[in-house]
Amino acid sequence: MKRLGLIALVLMLAGGMVAFAGGAPEADTAVAEDNLERSLEVDISGLRSADGQTLLPELSSKQVPPRPDNPRSLPETDPLHWYDMEYLGWGVAEKINIPDSPADGAIGKRVIAIINGDHPYLTAYSNGMQKIADAYSMDLTVLSPNWDLAEQNQMLDEAINERPDMIILVPLDARVAIQQVRRVNRAGVPIILSNMLPEEEAMQYAIAWTGPDDWGQFREMARVWADELGRSGGVAYIRHAPGGSPYFARTYGPITELAEYAPDIETLDMQAPGFEAEATMQVVSDWLTRFGDRLTGIGLADDSAQAIGTIEALRRAGREDVLVIAAGNSKVGMDMVQDGDLLAITYQSAEADGAVALKTAVDWFNGLDVDPVLYIPKQVITQENVEDFMPAQW
Amino acid sequence: MSEDRTLRQNRFSVLISVLGIYFLAAILLIVGVMVSERFLSAANMLSVVGGVTILGLVAVGAAFVTYSGHFADLSIPTTMAFSGVMAVEALQFGIVAAIFTGLLVGLLIGLINGFVIGKFRANPIVWTLAMAFVTRGLMRWIWSNRQIYPEVEGAATGAGQHFVNLYRYHLLGVIPMTVVVLAAFAIGLHFVMKQSSFGRQLQITGASFEAARLSGINVSRNVGLAFLICAMTAAVAGIFLTSLSRVGAYYMGEGYDFAAVTAVVIGGVTLAGGRGSIVGVIGGVLVIGLMRNVMTLMGIDTFAQTIVTGAVFILAVGIQSNSLRRLGRDDA
Amino acid sequence: MPSQTDVVTFVNRYRILLLLALVFLFMALFAPRFLNMFNMTIIMKSASLNAMAAIGFTIVLICGHLDLSVSSTISLGAVLVIGFRPDLGWSGAIVAAVAAGGVVGLVNGLLVAKARIHSFIVTIGTLTIVQGIIYVYTGGAALNVTGALDFALADFLEDPILLFFPPRVIITILVIVGFEVFFLRTKPGRNFYMVGGNRETAWLAGVKADAYVIWAFIISGCAAALSGALFAIGISSATTDLGVNSLMIIVAATIIGGASMNGGKGQVLYSGIAVLMLTVLFNGLNRFGVGSEFRILASGVILASVVLYEAYSNYKKERIRGQRPELLKELDPQQLKNVASSLKTRKLQE
Repeated sequence: MKRLGLIALVLMLAGGMVAFAGGAPEADTAVAEDNLERSLEVDISGLRSADGQTLLPELSSKQVPPRPDNPRSLPETDPLHWYDMEYLGWGVAEKINIPDSPADGAIGKRVIAIINGDHPYLTAYSNGMQKIADAYSMDLTVLSPNWDLAEQNQMLDEAINERPDMIILVPLDARVAIQQVRRVNRAGVPIILSNMLPEEEAMQYAIAWTGPDDWGQFREMARVWADELGRSGGVAYIRHAPGGSPYFARTYGPITELAEYAPDIETLDMQAPGFEAEATMQVVSDWLTRFGDRLTGIGLADDSAQAIGTIEALRRAGREDVLVIAAGNSKVGMDMVQDGDLLAITYQSAEADGAVALKTAVDWFNGLDVDPVLYIPKQVITQENVEDFMPAQW
Repeated sequence: MSEDRTLRQNRFSVLISVLGIYFLAAILLIVGVMVSERFLSAANMLSVVGGVTILGLVAVGAAFVTYSGHFADLSIPTTMAFSGVMAVEALQFGIVAAIFTGLLVGLLIGLINGFVIGKFRANPIVWTLAMAFVTRGLMRWIWSNRQIYPEVEGAATGAGQHFVNLYRYHLLGVIPMTVVVLAAFAIGLHFVMKQSSFGRQLQITGASFEAARLSGINVSRNVGLAFLICAMTAAVAGIFLTSLSRVGAYYMGEGYDFAAVTAVVIGGVTLAGGRGSIVGVIGGVLVIGLMRNVMTLMGIDTFAQTIVTGAVFILAVGIQSNSLRRLGRDDA
Repeated sequence: MPSQTDVVTFVNRYRILLLLALVFLFMALFAPRFLNMFNMTIIMKSASLNAMAAIGFTIVLICGHLDLSVSSTISLGAVLVIGFRPDLGWSGAIVAAVAAGGVVGLVNGLLVAKARIHSFIVTIGTLTIVQGIIYVYTGGAALNVTGALDFALADFLEDPILLFFPPRVIITILVIVGFEVFFLRTKPGRNFYMVGGNRETAWLAGVKADAYVIWAFIISGCAAALSGALFAIGISSATTDLGVNSLMIIVAATIIGGASMNGGKGQVLYSGIAVLMLTVLFNGLNRFGVGSEFRILASGVILASVVLYEAYSNYKKERIRGQRPELLKELDPQQLKNVASSLKTRKLQE
C-alpha cells in the first residue's frame, strides 16, 4: 500500500514536470522605430560615481607588443613570459558565430548580468551598471552565484533560457570561461565579458571584454614603489586567491616591471594566506623574523583585510619604514593611504567597471564599432591625491 | 623481553598523555631554533602568540562543546560576524553599548543552540550548520551584502576610534590587550572546567550522557551552558576581529569553525567527550601558530603548508588516541 | 479511513518526496519562467554534481561515520580527469580520476577502521591534504582541455537526449538507483546498515565491520571523484575549488533526506532527491530574481525545520519512554481523574 503511494507520488511528480514543461519563453516587445535615434542622443557624460569622479571617463589604451613564439619558455621574470595573460584578447584573429548587431538602439533592451559573487566591490560594480541601465531605460538583472561555479553555470543556462538581448558575464575562472562563453554563443545570445580575464580562446565567442588593466596598473604602481624604495632592497608579495587572473597579475606584474626598471630590488618570497587579517599578520611577522632588515617593501593583492594585517604586523615590530602597496581602492585602503600607512594603491573604479561593460553593450546595440578589449582608466593613488577620490565607492 | 617492550611503550604513552601537545610544541621549538637564529627573539614569539589570539579565544570556548561530547559548533563563524556587525551598528550609542550589543547577539545565538541541542537533543553538527545558514542569510539580507565601518557608524559619538583601538590596545605598552583577555578567559574557563561543579558534571555528561542523565545531573542545562560559553567567546573574538579589520561584514570569521576544532582536538580534548583541558587547548593553539611560523621561516610555500598541516593534524591526534588506548583508556 | 498515526507515518516516511512536490508546486505556480523543458534540464543538470557525491556521504553516514573530504575529492576528480586527458584519453582519464578518489577513500577508511582515529578528524585532515595536493598539481590555476579542443564529449553529456535528461543526468540517476538497489536488496548491501545501526548485532552475525567501513569510504571517494570528473568534462575544464561549496549542501541534503548522524539510517535515493529539492528551490528563487542570501536563508530554514521536527518527535518519544500508553488507555478515565485529584489534594494538604 505504502509502496503504491510512493510510486503514485513519483509518477505524479514526473507527470507534472512533463505536462507543464514546454511553455515557450516570452517574446520581447517590439522596438519603436526611432529608438536608435533616441538611443544615440542619450548623454551620459554627466553621470558620476559615488566618489564624485566621472562615471565613464576616457578609456585607457595599451601598447601591444608582438607575441613571442613560445612565451612560456621565457623566464618568469621576463614580462613576455606572461604575454598570453597580459595581452589577452588582442590576438584573436577571428571571432566565431557572433550575432549581428540589431542596430536598433539600446533603449528598452533586456540585459542579464551574471557576476561572480557577493562582495562590496561587486555591489558598487552593479550600482555603476544600473546607472547606465537607467540612463537608457534598459531592463537589467544582475545575478550573483556567490562564488559557486556550479551555480554560475546554472545561472548562465537560465539566462540563455530567458533569451535576453545581451548577457554580461564576470567569469569565475579564466579557463572555465571558454566553455561557458561557447555555450552562450552556440545558443545565439550575444555576450560581453567583464572584470575577470578569461582565457584567450573564450574571446573568440564574445563581442568584447571590458575591465581593469590589472597588469598595467600594477606596472605603473611598481615604478612609483621602486622610486620610493631607492631602486634597491628586498620585497615580498601577498597574493590573491589562487586561480584568478589577479593571482598572477598582482604578483608578476610588479616582479617583471621591477626586473627591468629596478633590477637591484630582490624578490624575497610570496605567499597566499587568503583574505584574512590575522593570517596575513602572521605571515608578515614571520617574514620580518626571517628577512629582518632585508625586507623593505611588501606588495598586496588586496587593500582591506590583507592591508590591515600587514600594517598591524609592521606596527607591532616597529617597522613602519617598510613600504606597502596594494590593489585598491576600498574605504579601508584609502584611509590607510591618507594616514600614510600605505604608500600607494591603484584607482580601480568599481562603478566604472560595471558601467563600461553595459556601455559597450549599448554601443553594440546602437550599431557602433566595438573594440575587442576595453580598459577602465588606471591611476595610482598616493597621499597627495587621495582626497580627490573620497568618499570611497565601497 | 616483550614485557619490557610493552613497559617502555607504556612509558612513552604516559608521556604523550600527560605532556600531550606540549611535546609537539617542543619539537617545533627545536626545529625553529635550527631554522633561524631570530626564532627565539621576543618579537617573533610575541608575533606567534599575536597571530593566534583570536583563534585562541574561539578555541577555549569551543573546547566546552567538544568536552561535553557534542563535537563542534559550526555556527562559530557567523556568530563572530553577527556580533561584530551588531557591535558596529550599535556604535552610534557609544562604545559600551556596542560591546554589550555584540555580546548579547552572541549569547542569543548560543542560547538557541543550547536550548535546541541541550533540551531536544538535536544533532549538534547539523543543527549548528542550519543555524549558520540562517544567521548568514539574515545578515546578508539585513545589510544587503554591504559592509559597515566602525569609523563611520561611530563618528558622531567618537566611539568608532575607540572600537578600532580595542584590538590595538597594549597593556604597559608591550602586551597586547587581546592576549590579556585571552589569558583571563583561559584561566577563568580552566577553573570552570576543572573546579566548578558545573565542570565536573559536564565531564560526566561528556563521558556518558545517559549515565549523567540517570544519575540526576541536569544534562540539558549543562549542554546548553557549554554552547553558551562557546558562543560567548566567539562573540568576544568576533568583536576583536571586527575591530582589527575595521569592517563589520557578514563574511568575517570564515574558517574559524574548523580551525577551532583543530586546535581543540589537537590540544587533547577528545571528540568522544569528557577528556582534555584548557591548558591543552592553549597548547594546541600555540602549536598551530608555531607550525605556520616555522614553515614560513623555512620558506615552504602556502600549498605545501596546507598538506603538512593536514598530515600533522591526523598524526598528532592519531598518536594521542593510540596512546590513550595503550593505557587502556577510551578504547572505542 | 486512515488514522492520524497512519498519516504521520506516511509523512515521516516520504517526507522528502512531499517536500520536493511542495517546493516544485509552489515554484510552478508562482515563479516566472519556471515551468519549461529548458529549465527542467537546467535543474536536472545542476542537481547531478551534488546528488552523485551525496551517495558516498550517505553510505559513510549509514556506517556511522562522517566524510568531510568529499568536497576536495570532487575537485580532485575534476582536476585529474582534465589533467590526464591529453595522456590517457577520456576513458583512461575517467578511470584514473575515479581510482584516485578511491585511494583517498581507502586512506580515510584505513585511518578510521584500522588506526581507529575518529572519522571527523581524519576527514578534516584529508580534506586539507587533498586540497593541498590539488594546488601543488595545478599550480593554483584551473585546468582545461586544449589543443584539438574536442568539445564533442562535453556537448554529448550536456544536451538532453530524452525529455529533459542529458546523458550526464542519466548516468547520475543510474548510479544512484544502482547503489540504492545494492544497499536495500542485497545481503552485503544491507550489512552496511547493520554495521552503522547496531555494531553488536553485526558482530554476532559475523559481519566484518572494519571491511564495510573501509568500503564505504572507498565508495564515497569514487562517487565524489566521478561526479567531479563528469562535471569537469561537461564544462571542459576544472577549477581547484570546484567542490568547496558542495560539502554543506550535501550535509544538509543528506539529513533532510532522512539520514541520521548516528548511523544506520538513510537512503542514497532520498539523499539524491533532497539535493534535487534544494536545486528546485534555488532555481525557483533565481527565477524571482532575488539575491543569493535568500538561497542560504531558505536552505537554512528548511534544514533547521527538519532537524527541529525530528529532534522534537524524538524528545516526545523519550519522555514517555518506559510508559505503556496502551495500558493507560485500558484504564477507566474517570478512575484516573479520581486518582489525580486525590494526589493533588494530598499535595495541597502538605
